[in-house]
Amino acid sequence: MFGLPTQDEPIPFDELPLDDPLLFDEPAGVVIPDIEWSAIAPNLILMLGGILLLTVVSLVRGRTPSWFSAVWTISTAVFAGVTLVPLWQRVQDDGAESVMAGAIGLDGFSLFVTGVMCLSVVLGALLLEGYLRREGLAGPEWYVLLLLSASGGVTMASANDLIVMFIGLEILSVAVYVMAAMHSKRVSSQEAGLKYFVLGAFSSAFLLYGIAMVYGATGTTNLVGIQQFLSETVLTQNGLLLAGFAFMLVGFGFKVGAVPFHNWTPDVYQGAPSPVVAYMASGVKVAGFAGMIRVFVVTFGPTYGADWRPMVYALAMLSLVVGSFGAIVQTDVKRMLAYSSISHGGFILVAVAANSEAGTAAALFYLLVYTFMIAGSFGIVTIMGRTGDGLHALSDYRGLSKARPGLALLFTVFLLAQAGVPFTGGFLAKFYVINSSVSQGQYVLALIAMSAAVVAAFLYLRIVVAMYFDGNTYRGESATLAGPKVRIPAAAGVALGIAVVGTLWLGILPGQMTSVAGDAVAQLVAIGP
Amino acid sequence: MGQYLPLITLLVLTGVFGAVSVVVSRVLNPPRPTEAKSSAYESGITDITEPPERFPVRFYLIAMIFIVFDIEIIFFYPFTMVYSELGWYGVIAIVIFSAAVFESFLYLISNGALDWGPARISRRSVIASDPDRTSTTTVRRVGADGRAFALDGEES
Amino acid sequence: MTVDPTLLLAADGPVTFPILPALILTPLLGALAIFFVPARRDDAFKQIALLTSVVTGVLSIYLLTAFETGEAGFQFVVDQSWISEFGISFHLGVDGISLFLVVLTGVMFPIAIMGAKITHDIKSYYGWLLVLMAGSMGVFLALDLVVFFLFFEVVLVPMYFLIGLWGHGDRIYAATKFFLYTMLGGAFMLVAIVALAILNQRGVGGDLTFDLVQIAQNQAISTEAGRWIFVGFAIAFAVKVPVFPLHTWLPDAHTEAPTAGSVVLAAVMLKLGTYGFVRFGLYLLPEAAHWAAPVMLTLGVIGIIYGAICATMQKDLKRLVAYSSIAHLGFVILGVFSITTQGIEGGILIMVNHGIATGALFLLVGWIYERRHTRQISELSGLQKVAPVFAGVFTLVMLASIGVPGLNGFPGEFLALLGAFQTARWWAVVAVIGVILAALYLLWAYQRTFHGPVTPGNEHFRELRWSEGLVIAPLLALIVFLGVYPAVMLDRMGPSVDALVEHVDEQVDDFERVEITYVGASDIPEPGHDDDSDGPASDEHGEEGE
Repeated sequence: MFGLPTQDEPIPFDELPLDDPLLFDEPAGVVIPDIEWSAIAPNLILMLGGILLLTVVSLVRGRTPSWFSAVWTISTAVFAGVTLVPLWQRVQDDGAESVMAGAIGLDGFSLFVTGVMCLSVVLGALLLEGYLRREGLAGPEWYVLLLLSASGGVTMASANDLIVMFIGLEILSVAVYVMAAMHSKRVSSQEAGLKYFVLGAFSSAFLLYGIAMVYGATGTTNLVGIQQFLSETVLTQNGLLLAGFAFMLVGFGFKVGAVPFHNWTPDVYQGAPSPVVAYMASGVKVAGFAGMIRVFVVTFGPTYGADWRPMVYALAMLSLVVGSFGAIVQTDVKRMLAYSSISHGGFILVAVAANSEAGTAAALFYLLVYTFMIAGSFGIVTIMGRTGDGLHALSDYRGLSKARPGLALLFTVFLLAQAGVPFTGGFLAKFYVINSSVSQGQYVLALIAMSAAVVAAFLYLRIVVAMYFDGNTYRGESATLAGPKVRIPAAAGVALGIAVVGTLWLGILPGQMTSVAGDAVAQLVAIGP
Repeated sequence: MGQYLPLITLLVLTGVFGAVSVVVSRVLNPPRPTEAKSSAYESGITDITEPPERFPVRFYLIAMIFIVFDIEIIFFYPFTMVYSELGWYGVIAIVIFSAAVFESFLYLISNGALDWGPARISRRSVIASDPDRTSTTTVRRVGADGRAFALDGEES
Repeated sequence: MTVDPTLLLAADGPVTFPILPALILTPLLGALAIFFVPARRDDAFKQIALLTSVVTGVLSIYLLTAFETGEAGFQFVVDQSWISEFGISFHLGVDGISLFLVVLTGVMFPIAIMGAKITHDIKSYYGWLLVLMAGSMGVFLALDLVVFFLFFEVVLVPMYFLIGLWGHGDRIYAATKFFLYTMLGGAFMLVAIVALAILNQRGVGGDLTFDLVQIAQNQAISTEAGRWIFVGFAIAFAVKVPVFPLHTWLPDAHTEAPTAGSVVLAAVMLKLGTYGFVRFGLYLLPEAAHWAAPVMLTLGVIGIIYGAICATMQKDLKRLVAYSSIAHLGFVILGVFSITTQGIEGGILIMVNHGIATGALFLLVGWIYERRHTRQISELSGLQKVAPVFAGVFTLVMLASIGVPGLNGFPGEFLALLGAFQTARWWAVVAVIGVILAALYLLWAYQRTFHGPVTPGNEHFRELRWSEGLVIAPLLALIVFLGVYPAVMLDRMGPSVDALVEHVDEQVDDFERVEITYVGASDIPEPGHDDDSDGPASDEHGEEGE
């Protein structure tokens, strides 16, 4: 972890003097890494923000106003987001670099993902504020966990070392496991937390196992080292490496909910508190994909792309098909959206399978748009769940257009954006992905992806039908249904506003963001500029 | 490969021992359960209430807090060995680490995890409940069958 | 969709303001205005909708007058970069092919807005109609593949809500079916578009571009790839037209849609597909279009016969008109894929005239439904005695739809058949039966509805109101005028269509260009369009081309 092998010419694995006792007995001496704090400022801010918040509320227990934690969280995330700007400028001017002794990569990719994570924290915190109040749950802990998990996600996205990435993944996941189970009044929330925890821990083990195998095959956990080793050495036997790919793919596939590792998604999304799901579906997925892209596309892509691409191809295809067909038979809106998020995951996997810079940019753009859309959708689900967070059946949305036309219209925008209707971000995200896929010659996958989007559109239309057409007036007959009575907390309103503006902005004037996504290339550079 | 031989031998031995144990226990002690034998008390008397097996949840909390500090100590040991080589860098690092651990301690105290005496109601909250869950769906009536049997027996 | 004011000046021609963006933005601004007016101001919405749609209509007619007759290329071109990463730009322009579809859109929307009453959710109804208008304009004006696709897809949303919220009967089923069918087609088209642009970039080098004109001029992709891409496009357009096996959404959508929805659907939306075939089939992928012509011709002819037979058997008046649309659009396919100047001109003529005549028919059927609350032919009888003027109007429109000479249905069908006879004789022979069947189903329906004894319930059938008369009068005038003098259209579309056929001729090796002289529309000598009388291929006059 601390530094690269010192040899100028890496020794092929077969010739490594592993059985030489001197190699291990020699005192290495401690190399103290040079830590550049400014390079990891966003991550530090998120983490310190979380820890400080916990300290503050512990010290003045019960004497902080209820909005305090939310405001703290949002300002922390915004502050972290602001620090991205000079870093972005630095990366664009001076190029990417490795900091923290090669453990952390500072490049456009990691900064972009950090920005998206901050965004999903802001949206999640805004939704949580009204939710906790409505449900009568006390809770600075929610916000602390939110910030800590975001910090884990950022670590994961910027890790240049498999071990660091794993630590990031665990920080991210453990926090979210707890958040999924934090609604103490709902049994289903605890069930969701437990399921998520058990299966997530299982998948983490897979990932760790894969990391160990890759280490065994290449002799280092540092991504730069792995990339160098693979490009300079031809392995006579690569079974261990390929097995490592497979295991790591299982681990990442789990985190992003790719079929066939998706089975936790519907249950957990249904049971977990709705604002947490909003964060889980956006932030956690973003981090998972960031890690996947960093390991597979950037590190293994140039040398072993042909080996892992078929696997990702299959995952993408299965996710698209199972996600969209699974969604249309559901009757619970949260489950529907869970399946549709699987389908979205499939779309992003299509971009990953392209194994190109354009594919990475497409995945990043998709993730950004997706964060807006999905946080908005689950924001509305949060509001519509009403006290108890239990009213999520499709029938609970009937006549919403009568009772709350604005809310119905917003949800329609989010759903149509997810379906990929033009002039919303969803369309351009899909277009971007299709573009990257077709330019790699994956015509069939692109067709499957678009067809799956049509199947998924049926699901979105079902929700729209419930909101608009059921219990509506028909030829002058008065409505039989008054529609659900819901209260929209101010903070949630702000979150929905941000989400809808983002969704439409990325659909109508995407030029700026596509160029940013295009600049957000992931690079692996050895230590120092 | 030779160097792995002890490991493989151990692995095989473990498997063999496990298998032999199971088989031998079956052979020496064939299971022939009867109603009386499988009830809670082999005297044949059915228990009227469930055996009280409750512990204050606080014990678990103490145990968990202990583990956290235990692990902190584990990190301290290697630090002491390379203390001089790491210099200030090591001191700062271990301070950050300790601060994080003590921070959680602070949180625990603030939440009353170490308060003894009568339980303090720190939060008003309804106990987790699901309308679908009733005592009949979740609680397995241990020995209820035996009880019915016994009652029948008494009557007849 | 902000437009940089400096670039708006780039529009050339005598028009000094950017008329094409204005055609899209005016209804959109109307929709925005409606969005911001509070819902209780019920009376304001129709006025805003009417005002903006009429302004758009007037602009489109102004476009018609400003259009440079005799020029084949695109006019009033606006090119505003949108996503420079992908070379996507708001490239808009009209030529003789799209001009009349733009005008049709501009004319039919105000009529649809005026002609239909709505009783609930007035605000969103007019809002969606205006969004639909903007989207339809965009489709016909777009010269960028992605922008075209954007508009092509975005019109689904307003139409979905129009059918679903204000429709009749099984409206949700119809709306959902409509949405999913078209979207599935769009899925294929999007992949085709992206593949085309990327292959074009590989063939030519340089930056990625989705510009229709550039890609069409480059023709840099391989034959096989071109054919696959054509299939992608064809599925999308075939759904929209609709071509025979993919047509099943149309009767449902047409029947359940509210009157204005049906009018717009018939007049404008169905043309998106046929227009697409001309623009993105023949122009963009000439080789593949020529390759696929036999299949498309066959499907077109099947559509003609199948639509006519189904129409004959319908008991519901609106459904009958819907099926007749399938038959009419079969003629368009027949004309376009004959790949002759006459055939394509005929196809475009049918597009416009079908829009006018069928739009008018749907209006009339809508009015019948308003009066009687039924569309069942069996429940209507003897209406002619009760409402003679209404019957007279209906007769005229119906005759136009049948294709009686002197009315606007005739020139298009005649030209389409004329074109088809040159290159696809046997298809044309079969298609002619469709003309007879059209007379059969419409006249028979008319006879059952308007003749006969006045059955109970029909005694108080209300005569055509003045307001209704005013709404339909422009359509009647157009029906007669375009029937008598189609040259006004043929002159303007002629050069563009000629250029299109020439383009196909250049790109396809085994293409035999067929030209015939015909006396009629273009017998007015024009500089640069001298009647084809001594054209290079005139020696093949009257000969079978293929």
